[in-house]
Amino acid sequence: MSDGSGRDDREFHKGLSEEVDAWLRGEGSRRTFLTRLAQLIGGTALVGPAAALLSPDRASAAGPVNVELAPPDTPLGKAQAAAVEASTKGPTDGSAYRAVQAAKKLKGATLNVTYESGLQALEPKNYSGPQWQALTGIPQNVIELPHPDQYSKPIAEHIANSGAYDILDIEPAWIPSLANGGVIQPIDEFVGTYMNPADLDDYHPLYKFLPTFKGKRWGVFDDGDELCLYYRKDVIGDPKLQQAYKAKYGQALRVPQSWDEYSQVAQFITDQLAPNVYGTANFRKAGSPGNQFAFVQEFRANGGVFFDPQTMKAQLNSPAGLKTFQQMIAQNKASVPGNNDLDAVAQWVAWLQGKVAMIYSWPPTGRMSENYAQRSKSINFVPKSEIAGKVGYAPMPGGHGEMASGYVKSLAAGSKNAEAAYLFMQWVTSPPVSLARVMLPYTLRDPYRLSHYKSPLYRSLWPAAAEYLVTLNNSSNEAVLDMIMPGWQDYALSVDRMCTAVWAGQDPKAALQRAAGEWDAVTRKLGVEKQRDAYQQFMKLPGAYPDHTIATMGLSVKLT
Amino acid sequence: MGRSSIVPKRESPAVVDHRRAAEAPAGTGVSGRGRGISGRSRLLSAWIDRYFSVLLVLPAVILIVLLSAYPLVYSLWVNVVNYDFQIPGHDFVGWQNFKDVVVDPVAATALINTIVLSSAVVALELVLGLLLAVAMVRPFRGRGIVMPIVIMPLFMSPAIVGQFWGLLLQRPFGPTDYVLSRLLGHPVTISWLTEAPWNYIAVVLADAWQWTPFMFVILLAGFTSISHELYEAGQLDGASPWHTFFRISLPLVAPILLLAVAFRLLDAVKLFDIIYIMTGGGPGTNTYTAAFYLYEKGFQEFHISQATAGSWIFLLLTIPVISVLVRRLLRPETA
Repeated sequence: MSDGSGRDDREFHKGLSEEVDAWLRGEGSRRTFLTRLAQLIGGTALVGPAAALLSPDRASAAGPVNVELAPPDTPLGKAQAAAVEASTKGPTDGSAYRAVQAAKKLKGATLNVTYESGLQALEPKNYSGPQWQALTGIPQNVIELPHPDQYSKPIAEHIANSGAYDILDIEPAWIPSLANGGVIQPIDEFVGTYMNPADLDDYHPLYKFLPTFKGKRWGVFDDGDELCLYYRKDVIGDPKLQQAYKAKYGQALRVPQSWDEYSQVAQFITDQLAPNVYGTANFRKAGSPGNQFAFVQEFRANGGVFFDPQTMKAQLNSPAGLKTFQQMIAQNKASVPGNNDLDAVAQWVAWLQGKVAMIYSWPPTGRMSENYAQRSKSINFVPKSEIAGKVGYAPMPGGHGEMASGYVKSLAAGSKNAEAAYLFMQWVTSPPVSLARVMLPYTLRDPYRLSHYKSPLYRSLWPAAAEYLVTLNNSSNEAVLDMIMPGWQDYALSVDRMCTAVWAGQDPKAALQRAAGEWDAVTRKLGVEKQRDAYQQFMKLPGAYPDHTIATMGLSVKLT
Repeated sequence: MGRSSIVPKRESPAVVDHRRAAEAPAGTGVSGRGRGISGRSRLLSAWIDRYFSVLLVLPAVILIVLLSAYPLVYSLWVNVVNYDFQIPGHDFVGWQNFKDVVVDPVAATALINTIVLSSAVVALELVLGLLLAVAMVRPFRGRGIVMPIVIMPLFMSPAIVGQFWGLLLQRPFGPTDYVLSRLLGHPVTISWLTEAPWNYIAVVLADAWQWTPFMFVILLAGFTSISHELYEAGQLDGASPWHTFFRISLPLVAPILLLAVAFRLLDAVKLFDIIYIMTGGGPGTNTYTAAFYLYEKGFQEFHISQATAGSWIFLLLTIPVISVLVRRLLRPETA
């Protein structure tokens, strides 16, 4: 408080005069500096949100709707028209119709949806996202994430409590971790309110159970990633090769029925035809998921089990583990040069160029082989197929192919638009809409509903499409699953490290021992008791082991 | 004569208000209000005068406290609890997280790789940067074109550099083996990204390609700042170019060289992007670095406590090295 003394007055006048003089000279004073700083901060605070409102991303989310549709006279065009009809006209008890009608009442929301970056994200950007907006007025932001980040980013956002996502595209094997961690929420109530129960029965039985954990449903299944064998009919059926094989091994050259036969046939073809054609190619690059899927698939086909169900000690270091490595090393030896550097795309390139007689991979292989996918410029990162019309499809050697990854759409726990988000999930995976999506040439979404496998429209896409769809269905009957339990991500990373160490020359037994040690450490960290319970739950899933599949449970779907 | 004396003074409303307040008879409402306002202004002004420096520093202090100090203190707590995404609650576990890191063979591999790779890349970049700087210190025809080309990699994202080198070296589609085969006249089948020691060489090559220009730029600045008189004196004394370099150039550029090495070493021990893109840490844990290990533990497996404990261990191991470098850097100034 000032006492109004003369000294104060003099100082005040002096200071004020200096300040005014400085202002007249165009110099900034402390006061003006602070004022302008405050103005700057205030201005920034106003401009930031304004810029965000006007940003292209925002504009695209709320802007005009542009659905990329195929010509109406094509099979895809017909499927897309049927999806719109089912969404707008019904049947009125259909999941697509119900979702659209309910969502129309929820205008104002914008859905933030994660998708794997690249081709996967083109589908919601070009087709399902704009189509949903046209039908309901609800736009969506497609957030592209690399595959590993589809697990880690939602967790990071959940820990930060940001509420950044509404719908998460996740692997079924991540559900236990994400559900236990509170990242995703169960959708049973929404399913009960909105979904036509018949649509659940339209899933192949393998996929029907995958989004369930601890008796609750944590999402809707959306991508049938069943590994199958793709082989060159012209090579396997070549009379000269047939004769030479018979002479060498005393048996017919055929599509391999076991992993040992697979290595043998692959090596034979490499010996006979390389460098023009090699027996096989595998994606074995470190960090790509090929190693983990290939190992856990063959390991179980060889009779391996992951854990002792009582002690939960890892059982990797076993005769089955060693046999699996022997087989995989033999495959590597029979493969194209640089096999251990290949990722999935590089493997496809070798295959489509006709350099390889057999590969096992995900279902897009079948579409790309017939140049169906290459009709889209989006797939220009792989060459046009030089083997169209020459490709056969078969279940995996040993009979039990991995359902490698797959996708489930889950509802983020922090979603502020949970109902609208669920309705989109229901609509986009409903039979008519999902059929149009799995038929998109550029998408990597693969058939998973019985109605997809049976679809006359899909079967008309190329001459052997029906055979392709039947093989996918039959393989799903016998499929084994990724290890759907908490810690899968950690266990899988260990397997990848173990495999790449062996490819680099480490003794398989030592590698198995080290990986088993890492698995035990993960199990201890997560709690032996809890992991034992989770493993017991996993073993009940159809597809946990070759002796417990959809087929052995009598749930097989027979298709012709 | 000050400019203010020739500019007719305008009276600001505050000045007028202040004078009115002084002229008005005591007890009027206007003068009372005016006195109150001027009193507040004076108080504010005095307060601003007193705390002006503090106000200037305050935003930075708040930012540092929020973004550095608070997380640092928070991490001390995370170190001793079980902060794991997959495990509910945060039970106190004492030193267990540190033990987990210490007994983890992957952590040991990562630490050794970090030491080996960071030493290798900094040494190579120093040698190449020095050679380039010596070559470019004197003007020559085309230097203006060569210089930006040499410096360009410095402005690229390390992730892009990793992708670029990965594509160059990847088998079977990368061109490197093909080009080498043509040059050497026999098939070259090197798996640059999946086979030791080639994977180390690949990582060192990619890092050196990007960061040699950094060494080069700093050393070039050092060389150009050396007075020509010293060289002339050397020439008069009959010093050979070799002697001139080792007795004049190198000793004078040594402090700046040390600075460049310190900066690069600080950065190199964090080697991550190139590893992440080119090798994914593999094969096995062959190319795991400390940063990659911590990323894997923290952001792939979400064992956040273990990753935090690992970060602290790594920090404690790094401090002596950095201290020595900083002390060496400060020595010429204090001498």
